[in-house]
Amino acid sequence: MATLPGWVMLVVKFGGSLLAIFAIAWLVKRMGLGKGYERIRDEAHAIALAEEAEFGFGGVAADVDAAGYGAIVRNATGVMLLVRAHGNRFAARRIDAGFTARLDRNRLWLQSGERAFGSVELDFGGRASVIASRLRTVI
Amino acid sequence: MIPDLPKPVDIAVPLFVAAILAEMWIVQRRNRAAYEPRDTLTSLILGFGNTVAGAMTAGAAGAVAMWTYEYRLVTIGWTWWAWITAFVAYDLSYYWAHRAGHRIRWFWASHVIHHSSQHYNLSTALRQTWTGFIGLSFIFSMPLFFLGFHPAMIAFCAGLNLIYQFWIHTEAIDRMPRWFEWMFNTPSHHRVHHATNPRYLDANYAGVFMLWDRMFGSFTPEDDVDPIRYGLVRQLGSFNILWAATHEWVGIARDLRRAPWQAKLGYIVMPPGWSHDGSRDTSDSIKARWRDREQPRGESRSPMPEAAE
Repeated sequence: MATLPGWVMLVVKFGGSLLAIFAIAWLVKRMGLGKGYERIRDEAHAIALAEEAEFGFGGVAADVDAAGYGAIVRNATGVMLLVRAHGNRFAARRIDAGFTARLDRNRLWLQSGERAFGSVELDFGGRASVIASRLRTVI
Repeated sequence: MIPDLPKPVDIAVPLFVAAILAEMWIVQRRNRAAYEPRDTLTSLILGFGNTVAGAMTAGAAGAVAMWTYEYRLVTIGWTWWAWITAFVAYDLSYYWAHRAGHRIRWFWASHVIHHSSQHYNLSTALRQTWTGFIGLSFIFSMPLFFLGFHPAMIAFCAGLNLIYQFWIHTEAIDRMPRWFEWMFNTPSHHRVHHATNPRYLDANYAGVFMLWDRMFGSFTPEDDVDPIRYGLVRQLGSFNILWAATHEWVGIARDLRRAPWQAKLGYIVMPPGWSHDGSRDTSDSIKARWRDREQPRGESRSPMPEAAE
């Protein structure tokens, strides 16, 4: 029996793998996996998430976005940590001079210095301008 | 004569797919947050990239292996005891390659991709390196070729080793029987390995046999009072596939560019997080802070892993 050329086998192998990958990813979504995203409930939750993200950070206060999507946590030395949702988990970055911030009424737009970490828009209500002025000390 | 050996991982792929589907079915009933569609897609594509990268570098890796084998001390051959010895010996070499993969930044740059998910499910197992050849982890197998194990035998054992490690990437299994937990790597032991909690950092490097961690002081058991969080000490916060595969290499390049000459080598051979001015955290410094905080309270009930030197 004639066997297929090597390159055909390779295409079949890689093509089959890609098909399986996209089929599984589609199924994960179709089955509703990943739903029920956890959001930041309150200040204490934000401080706990900051401690998980950076052991020993020692958050003492936090401003939480209205939708619970993100928060800015401060420690006793005034260092600020941006905590934001990443899928159904959280990721954080220290707010430093590499960040860019823009205030638009109640909403604060923050862009980290890392392109892959991206930007976040947080609704802080009437506190947004106070938070923005606090950010100006580091950004 | 060299037997015509199949590639075990190629044969196991349908099993991987079936196991992932079964886990998804379980997760749908127990904890839907255990999966995340974008995370799963990232893991699977990274696994695909690993296959492509492996195919591209297999020739070069094979040539290095065969060259080393030419200078072997003895010819071990293809007897049954050689297979068993090769499997155990490869697992020992894997332990040290894996430990180096966490303790030396150059090796970590290649391995970090596997830890970059904040989820722990069977798709995470497939999140494998694209830069293994550049990462040089194959040098840990070279003593086996020099001893006299044929590279094809070691490649086969490496495939079996990798297949074994697939099923332990799950939260769907709590604990195995006590004797099994003592002897073998299990979901519980490997959850600890993927944890970012200070208590669990740099622990449980085993591939198949847990014996190596127990022997070399890197074993830490899972403690139910400290639920595991997965991923990296500094989470990526991105589903970007290229960034997941290359970010630590980019980090090394940036550090090499900025560091003073006398510090440059440190950014390659020192543990991840090391910096010449001490401005960053390593796993050792995080664990030290954790010990300072927890031990006076008597809350550290699990033995701490030894700092790998």
